[in-house]
Amino acid sequence: MPDKPSDLVQGTLDMLILKTLALEPIHGYGISVRIEQMSKGVFRLNAGSLFLAIQRLERDGLIDGEWKPTENNRRARYYTLTAKGQKRLDSETREWGRQVTAIARILEAS
Amino acid sequence: MSLLRNLATGLRSLFRREQVDRELNEELGAYLEMEAAEKMKQGMSRNDALREVRLERGSLEVTKDLVRSGGWEFFTETCWQDLRYAIRTLRKSPGFTAAVVLTLALGIGANTAIFTLTDAVMLKSLPVANPGQLYRLGDNNNCCVMVGTQNGGSFVLYSYPLYEELRDHTPEFSELAAFEPWTSDLNVRRAGSAAQPYKGEYVSGNYFPMFGIKPFAGRLLGPADDSPGAPPAAVMSYHTWQLRFGSDPSVIGSTVNINGVACTIAGVTTRGFYGDTLRSDPPDFWLPLAGDPEKWRLPNAATEFLYAIGRLKPGFTPDSVQVRLTVQLQQWLSSHREVIPDRDQKDIPQQHIRLTPSAGGVQQMQTDYASGLQLLLTLSGLLLLIGCANIANLLLARGSANRPQIAVRLALGAARSRLIRQMLTESLLLAIAGGLAGLYVAYAGAHAILLLAFRGAEYVPIDARPSFPVLGFALLVSLGTGIVFGIAPAWMASRCDPAGALRGAGRSGSDRFSTAQKPLLIAQVAFSIVLLIGAGLVTQSLRNIEYQHFGFVTEGRLIVKVAPGLSGYTPDKLEGLYQRLEETMPQTPGVLSASLSWYSPLAGDNANEPVFIQGKPTDYRWTAPSWDRVGPHYFETIGTRLLRGRAIDERDVPGAPNVAVINETFARRFFPNENPIGQHLGMWDASHSGDYEIVGIVEDAKYQDTRGPAYATFFLPLLQAAPEDPFRGWVGAIELHVAGKPENLEPAVRKTLADIDPNLTVLSMMSFGEQVARNFNQERLIARLTDLFGALALILACVGLYGITAYGVARRTNEIGIRMALGADRRNVLGLVLRAAIFQLGLGLAIGIPATLAGGNLLASQLYGVKSYDPVILGVAAVVLAGCGIVAAYVPARRATRVDPLAALRYE
Repeated sequence: MPDKPSDLVQGTLDMLILKTLALEPIHGYGISVRIEQMSKGVFRLNAGSLFLAIQRLERDGLIDGEWKPTENNRRARYYTLTAKGQKRLDSETREWGRQVTAIARILEAS
Repeated sequence: MSLLRNLATGLRSLFRREQVDRELNEELGAYLEMEAAEKMKQGMSRNDALREVRLERGSLEVTKDLVRSGGWEFFTETCWQDLRYAIRTLRKSPGFTAAVVLTLALGIGANTAIFTLTDAVMLKSLPVANPGQLYRLGDNNNCCVMVGTQNGGSFVLYSYPLYEELRDHTPEFSELAAFEPWTSDLNVRRAGSAAQPYKGEYVSGNYFPMFGIKPFAGRLLGPADDSPGAPPAAVMSYHTWQLRFGSDPSVIGSTVNINGVACTIAGVTTRGFYGDTLRSDPPDFWLPLAGDPEKWRLPNAATEFLYAIGRLKPGFTPDSVQVRLTVQLQQWLSSHREVIPDRDQKDIPQQHIRLTPSAGGVQQMQTDYASGLQLLLTLSGLLLLIGCANIANLLLARGSANRPQIAVRLALGAARSRLIRQMLTESLLLAIAGGLAGLYVAYAGAHAILLLAFRGAEYVPIDARPSFPVLGFALLVSLGTGIVFGIAPAWMASRCDPAGALRGAGRSGSDRFSTAQKPLLIAQVAFSIVLLIGAGLVTQSLRNIEYQHFGFVTEGRLIVKVAPGLSGYTPDKLEGLYQRLEETMPQTPGVLSASLSWYSPLAGDNANEPVFIQGKPTDYRWTAPSWDRVGPHYFETIGTRLLRGRAIDERDVPGAPNVAVINETFARRFFPNENPIGQHLGMWDASHSGDYEIVGIVEDAKYQDTRGPAYATFFLPLLQAAPEDPFRGWVGAIELHVAGKPENLEPAVRKTLADIDPNLTVLSMMSFGEQVARNFNQERLIARLTDLFGALALILACVGLYGITAYGVARRTNEIGIRMALGADRRNVLGLVLRAAIFQLGLGLAIGIPATLAGGNLLASQLYGVKSYDPVILGVAAVVLAGCGIVAAYVPARRATRVDPLAALRYE
C-alpha cells in the first residue's frame, strides 16, 4: 500500500499554485493534477482548499482567471500568473529556500 | 489596488449572488467532470467514476460553503442573516421583546437623562471663543460684598481699584474683566409701555472683548462705555430680545428707561450666550460697572465685590501667573492700609490669588449640583444593573427553552461561535432598540428633571436635547448592557451537549441555567434593597427639611417683592409710601395683616454686619450677626413668636427713640447671663454702640441656611437709620397674612398696589410656602428621582422573582406531579416552591442591607435629620421588598399546587 497523502506544510499551498501557473495557464483541476504529479502523489489537494486558495490569490491580484473552453468542450476557468504573482513567487521561493536550508542545518546537527 | 479588487469581487458576490453562485457551480462541476473523465479513461463507467469522485472529494455543497466562507463578504452576509433571524424570532415573542425593550428604555433613559444634565451642567464650556484660555482669579464662590481679608487668605472678591491695578499690571492676560457675582433687579420701561422687571449684571468695559463673543445685532459694550462720563448703554441677551421683545429690530439703538436712567440699547449678544455663570434666570441686560446705582462702591478700595476672569495669552502657565498676581496683591494691600483692618495686617503675607480654569465660567451650579448628580448617576446605574439582571434572567429562561433546538443545530454541524454570535446579535438588537426608546425617555425625562431642579425659574440656559457626547454615552451604555446581559446566556446555551439535550435530560432537577439565574436574582434583590432604602432615606430627609420648624409660618402667607428704588422713589419719599402701604394693604379683603421688610426669610438674601454692644469689648471671634429692617406687625405677619419685651410697631418712626429686636441666638451669644432688654447696640464702629436700645426678643428663625441653626440676628425699624447706612430704609418685600389660599389673593393685591402707585413694579409675588420650597429644589429632585428609581427597582425585582418561580414551576411540573402522586399535599408543594423564593429573597436582603450601610457615607452629606442607618426605614424597605417578592412568588407557587398529577406525569 502506498504512503498516505501528506498534508501540506502550512502556508505553502499558495506558493505551489503560483509555481504551477508559472509553467503555463491552467484550470483548477489541472492545478490539482499537476501538484499531485509533481509531488509524486505525496500531496493530494482537497477541492475546497484549492478553490479557497485560488479565490484568495485572485482577489490579491496574484493570478487572473478567464473562462475558456476545455479539450472536451466544457467551460472552465483558466488561471494565469500576473506580474505581481511572479514577483510574489520569486520572493516566496527565495524565502522557502532559506528556511529549508536552515531547518536542514538544525536537523543535521548532532 | 488589490484592496480595491478584493472589495469589488466581494461586493459582486454580495449583490450578484446568483451569478457568482452559478460560476462557482460551473467551475466545481467542471473540476468533478474532469476528474471523473480521468477515471473513465482507466475503465470505470461514468456513474461509478462520478460516485467515486464524490466519495473522494466529499459533498459539493460543503466545498462550496468552504469556498464561499473565504471572503469578507461572507461575514457581512452572515451578520445580515443573524440580524434577520433575530428580528424574526423577536417578532414571534412580542411579550418578551416588549418587556426587555421597556426595561432597557427605562434603565437607559434614566441614565441618559441624568448624563444629559451632567454633561450640560458639569462638562459644557461657555459658548465663547477658546474657553480653555479663560482663568478666574480665585478658587471658591464667596459672595457677595466683603471687607478686609478673605476666606483662608484666598482672594476671590476684588474692589474696583484692586481690579484696575491687576488689570493694568498683568500683561500675561490679553484681557482681564471684572463683573458683579450676582444679578440685579432692573426696572425697564420702554417709551409708551409699563415698566417690567428684568435681571441685569454690571460688568467692566472689556467684559465682551475678554469673552471674544460677537454681537448678533448692533454692538457690544466696550471700555469706552465704562467710563464715568460715557452715555449710558446696555446690551441685551439674544434670548431676552427674542422672547420679551419679539426680535424687534427697532429696539436696537433705541433708548429705554432702566432704573430711572435713559439708556441706549447698544446691541444684542450672540445666540446662546448667557454670561459668565451658568444659572437659572441669567441676565437679560449687561450694563457697564460705571452705571452701578450703588455709587459709593466703585471708588472704594475696601469694598470687595467683583469677580474677575482673564484670558491668558498662549505660552503662559497659570502657575507662574498666579505667583505674580499674589505678589501684586500683597504689595497693593501693604500700600493701601485702609483695606485691611489693623488687627489683620499681620495676615497680609497669607493673602494669595489662585487661578482656576474657567472654561465653564464661574462654577456656581457645578459646585451646588456635583454631589447630587454623582448620587443620581450612581442610583440610575444601579437601576440599569437591576434591569440587566432581569433581562439576563429572561434570556437564560429562553435559552433553556431553546435547548432542544440548539442541540439539533449543533448536531447538524453548526459552529458554536456562530451560535453565540447569533444569540449575541439578538441581545444587541434588543439593547439598541431599548437604547433608542431610552433616548426618547431621556429627552422627556431631562425636561421633567429641569423643571424639578429649577422650580420657579423662568429660563434655564441648559439644553435638554441630547448632545453628541450624550448620544455616544447612550449608544455605549446600550451596547455595554447588550453584551453584559447577552453573553452569559449565549455562552451557556452553546455549551449544551447535543446528545443529552436531545434525549430530554435536564427536564427536571437543577441545570446550569437555574444555577446562573439564582445569583442574578439575589444580586437583583440586593441592588433593589439599596435603592429602596436610599429612596426612603432621601424622602424622609426632604420631609424633615421642608417641614421643619423654621421659626415662622408659611401657611396663608403671601410675599410680594418690590424695589421702590427702581421705581423712581428717593429716600425722602419712602416714609409716605410705607405709611400708605401699611394703611391700605390690610384693608384688602382677605388680608389679615401686612408688613414690610428689607428682605424676607429664605428668599436668598442675607445681610450681616459687625455689631458693637455698649459697655462690652468688641469680640471678633464671631461671624458678624445678620440683620434686617422690618416694619410694624412684621413678626405676627410672618408668624414668628415674640418671646420677651415688645415687637417693632407704629411708634418706631424716625425721630422716636431708636430700638432693636434680637433673636434668641443673638441674646445667648452676646448676653449669656444677663437681661438683654434695655441694652444698647450699634453698627459701623464702637462710637455707634449706643444707637439702638433692645426692646424685645423673638424666637429664632432661619433666613438663609436651612440645614444649620438660625443665625444670630437683630432687627431694626425701617427708617431709623444712621446717615452712613447705605441700605437705609429701602424695602424689598411686603409680607401679607391672608385668609384662604394665598395664590387666590394675587389679583386683589396687585390691584391694591396699583391703586397706591401704578409705577411701583412688582418684581415677583408668591406664597411664602413656594418661596421656602424653592430652597429645596435639589433635595426634591433627588428625592423624587430616587423614589422613582426605587419603585422601578421594586417592580423589576418582583417581575424577576415571578418569572424565575414560574419558570421553575413549569420546569418541575413533572417532578411535582410525581411528588403529589406519592402523597405530597398542596401545602408541601407550596412550601417546596416558596422556600426557594424566600431563600433567594433572604440572601439578597442579607447582602444588600450591609452594602447599603457601608455605602451610606455617599448619602450622609445629603441627609437632614435622618441617619443613613435609620432602623425604621431599613425595616420598612426590607418588609416592602420581602412582601412584594413573596406575593410575586406566591402566584406561580399556587399554580404548582393545582397541578393534576396524572396530567403532569404525561407532561412532556
